[in-house]
Amino acid sequence: MKKHALIIEEYACWGCMACETACKQEYNPVHVAHAVKYLSVRGDGPKLMNGKLDFLWRVNVCKHCDEPACIKACPVEAITKREDGIVVLDQEKCTGCRLCIEACPYQAIGFDDEKQSAFKCNLCYHRVDQGLYPACADNVCLGHCIYFGDPTEIEKKILEKRKRRGGWRENHPQGTEVRDRK
Amino acid sequence: MAEVTFSNAAREMEVYGYDSVVKSHCRMCHGGCGVLVYVKDGKAVKIAGDPDCPINHGTLCSKGFGSLQLAYHPDRLTHPVKRVGPKASGKWERISWDEALDCIAERILAYKEKFGSESVVFGYGTGRENEAVIYRIANILGSPNVLTAGHFCYGPRICTGIITCGTNPIVDYENFPKCIMVWGNNVTISNADEYKGEPFSVALDKGAKLIVVDPRLTRPAARANVWLQLRPGTDAALALGMLHVIVNEELYDKEFVEKYTFGWEPFVKRVNEYPLDRVEEITWVPREKIREAARLFATTKPAAIQWGVAIEQQINCADNDRLLMFLMGLTGNIDAPGGQVLNRTPNIVNVGHFGAHGMLPKEQVAKRLGGDRFRLASRFAIIQPKCVWDAILEGKPYPVKMLFFISSNPVITRANAKEVYRALEKVEFMAVADFFLTPTAELADIVLPAATWLEMDYIGDFWKRHGYIVPRRKVIQVGECRSDHEMLNDLAHRIGQGQYWWDNFEQALDSILKPMGITWNEFKELNYVRGEVKYYKYKEGGFSTPTRKFELYSTILEKMGYDPLPQHREPPESPVSTPGLYTEYPYILITGARSPGFFHTENMQVRWLRELHGEPIVEIHPDAAAKEGIKEGDWVIIESRRGKVRQRAKLALGRDSRIVAAQHAWWFPENRDPGHGWDESNINILTDNALEGCDPAMGASNIRTLLCRIYPEKKEGGRP
Repeated sequence: MKKHALIIEEYACWGCMACETACKQEYNPVHVAHAVKYLSVRGDGPKLMNGKLDFLWRVNVCKHCDEPACIKACPVEAITKREDGIVVLDQEKCTGCRLCIEACPYQAIGFDDEKQSAFKCNLCYHRVDQGLYPACADNVCLGHCIYFGDPTEIEKKILEKRKRRGGWRENHPQGTEVRDRK
Repeated sequence: MAEVTFSNAAREMEVYGYDSVVKSHCRMCHGGCGVLVYVKDGKAVKIAGDPDCPINHGTLCSKGFGSLQLAYHPDRLTHPVKRVGPKASGKWERISWDEALDCIAERILAYKEKFGSESVVFGYGTGRENEAVIYRIANILGSPNVLTAGHFCYGPRICTGIITCGTNPIVDYENFPKCIMVWGNNVTISNADEYKGEPFSVALDKGAKLIVVDPRLTRPAARANVWLQLRPGTDAALALGMLHVIVNEELYDKEFVEKYTFGWEPFVKRVNEYPLDRVEEITWVPREKIREAARLFATTKPAAIQWGVAIEQQINCADNDRLLMFLMGLTGNIDAPGGQVLNRTPNIVNVGHFGAHGMLPKEQVAKRLGGDRFRLASRFAIIQPKCVWDAILEGKPYPVKMLFFISSNPVITRANAKEVYRALEKVEFMAVADFFLTPTAELADIVLPAATWLEMDYIGDFWKRHGYIVPRRKVIQVGECRSDHEMLNDLAHRIGQGQYWWDNFEQALDSILKPMGITWNEFKELNYVRGEVKYYKYKEGGFSTPTRKFELYSTILEKMGYDPLPQHREPPESPVSTPGLYTEYPYILITGARSPGFFHTENMQVRWLRELHGEPIVEIHPDAAAKEGIKEGDWVIIESRRGKVRQRAKLALGRDSRIVAAQHAWWFPENRDPGHGWDESNINILTDNALEGCDPAMGASNIRTLLCRIYPEKKEGGRP
């Protein structure tokens, strides 16, 4: 089974928010006032990080963990992990108990007041299953820092890029997301 | 399971059952990115970047993704209206296009008859690819007064580019610069002009070295090899300091200097007036850092400067632009692959010709407002806004009776907003074309519903200097909205200009394309057309300047009576120029840092984009905040000699504690009062527009750096 992961190299993120807006376009009809947002981009700093003044953008989105705390926390099995690695939250099954929201170490699960259920990024599995990239990863990013596909391949690509960028960046806090993969 | 593929338009069509996909050209900024517009049941339903477009390579910014919500916004004006109550009463009545255009035409002809064509001022805001058509109608009418952002945005790069080296030099990302110096720009956020964040990112991923000149720690500054954290408004001194290093360490391209420059000796003399100890004192940048940046930039080939508008909205506007061009030129990067290229546009009618500048009679040119004062601007048909406000408010040198603003919101975007508002309240007749009833439109007599880019056919990037033109194809019709081009073509017939215009605007597009030997219908089948690509063109024909050389010493500025060599001028308000004022207003206010989603005053009502930034933010150093009793998230009053506004405090390191950075362009469409909160957080309430504080050649208003005080709105802090 091919693995499907979403990896964002935050070092290369400019905070352009194209991914966040592309995600909204995928899930929200233009007229609907009540919008869901699965992904958000927020500034971190400028502040001291590892003793150096730095400023990074952070992309908050479900990391589709290998051992998702949300699945363990859910009492009604509304969250499942697919064979390809995508963690899916079924809003129909969700009872709105919010235990998953508390359990998620990344604050990546939100609560939909209207539907009274939790919600999170399901990695556009409706697109992936049809041979399409997730909306945020479909070549929208101005920094080319959003990767989708096999996690081992992605990490190779990121390492190659870092090498090309040159050694001077080695001492720099990279800010790259590393999935809690075992 | 299906193989997953990037930008797969064919699969999108199958999976979502779209009826069609139209290739077009976005214009959520100045224009520039190729897009795919998916259509279902006659409605545009999805926007994506066009992977075949050489400008954005399939990527798209947040503004582009917000296009549909803009086009189908419930508040959009979809038919012409006339005001039936007092100005800013919000009382409007629907009228027909015929009634609206006849009324505007009648006024234009009446004012022309009684007060002269110069009493009718046309205007546009930031470039929306309507410039040439607006100049055309004004020039044929005989009005020398077209009020644009050109005095302090992009116009200066064009004007100084033409007088220095023939055109505006554009970064050649296609050939991957190995060193990029970002100067007063946040290109991955703004994505404007010829520049998109995407090719810049790719060049960095290829290993380009990065120098960033910015008073704030932006993300590019955080990634830079060298960050030059200058005192706001001292760009000219910093550039002169870098040139001092390059000249005295002989890091310049000797062949270029010898064969292709004019004025080397006086230039060197001027540069030597700026030794690094003096430059350090002026700019607050340590001399070692200036030397390091100058050496890195001069010795890494090819190198390029990614410049932005921040250097132009200053008293040193024209000299800043010229000095940066000198850095490009003397290091041998002008017209070099991977450097800064003087592109050729495809063989079409150029904007100047289409704009009918040659048809404006000489005696009318002489009447251009402020033309004798801002002579470089005037030569390029650019005027200073305050000259128009003065003409309305005081009738000097002659009265301006009518304004016609197309895609412009000067109440929010021009310096000294209170004066702008007074002028717009007073002017006898004002027409506006826009998407929404903005604070400016609320002062108009007639407002025309303008089309978004999704609703028009046009030759995209017609006016740009990157060498491409891209078809913008009409996808949808919203209400009775018309493109600026179509409405002006129609109006022109009603004011007796019919012989110079067309039966419909498609014929105008045909005429623009005619030299290339194709029609609009043929052009729209193409992805894009690119001008001839050729490097080092000056080695054959020289530069297109009076001396045929790269003019370090400007013969044109000299003739106009200006200093032919660039210099540093202190900002009109600064700790150095006004130390007394600095004790009362002890912070340097910088304005206008860009946010994704917005383009100046635009998109404040587009929910997907407004959600990215709900409120105006003022960035304050934690030490300054502690001193003033300001906490994170407090509403803060920012006050200058001209007035005060409120913005929400964000405490941030990465700047000198004497600097406060406020956002610009804020108004609140959700505020249903006809003022829409125009004076609540609008930073131009604080900025000055006195002519003495403007760039002497371009008339650029100095809105980027002034003095202010800050304090919490509520003495106890906290949210109201």
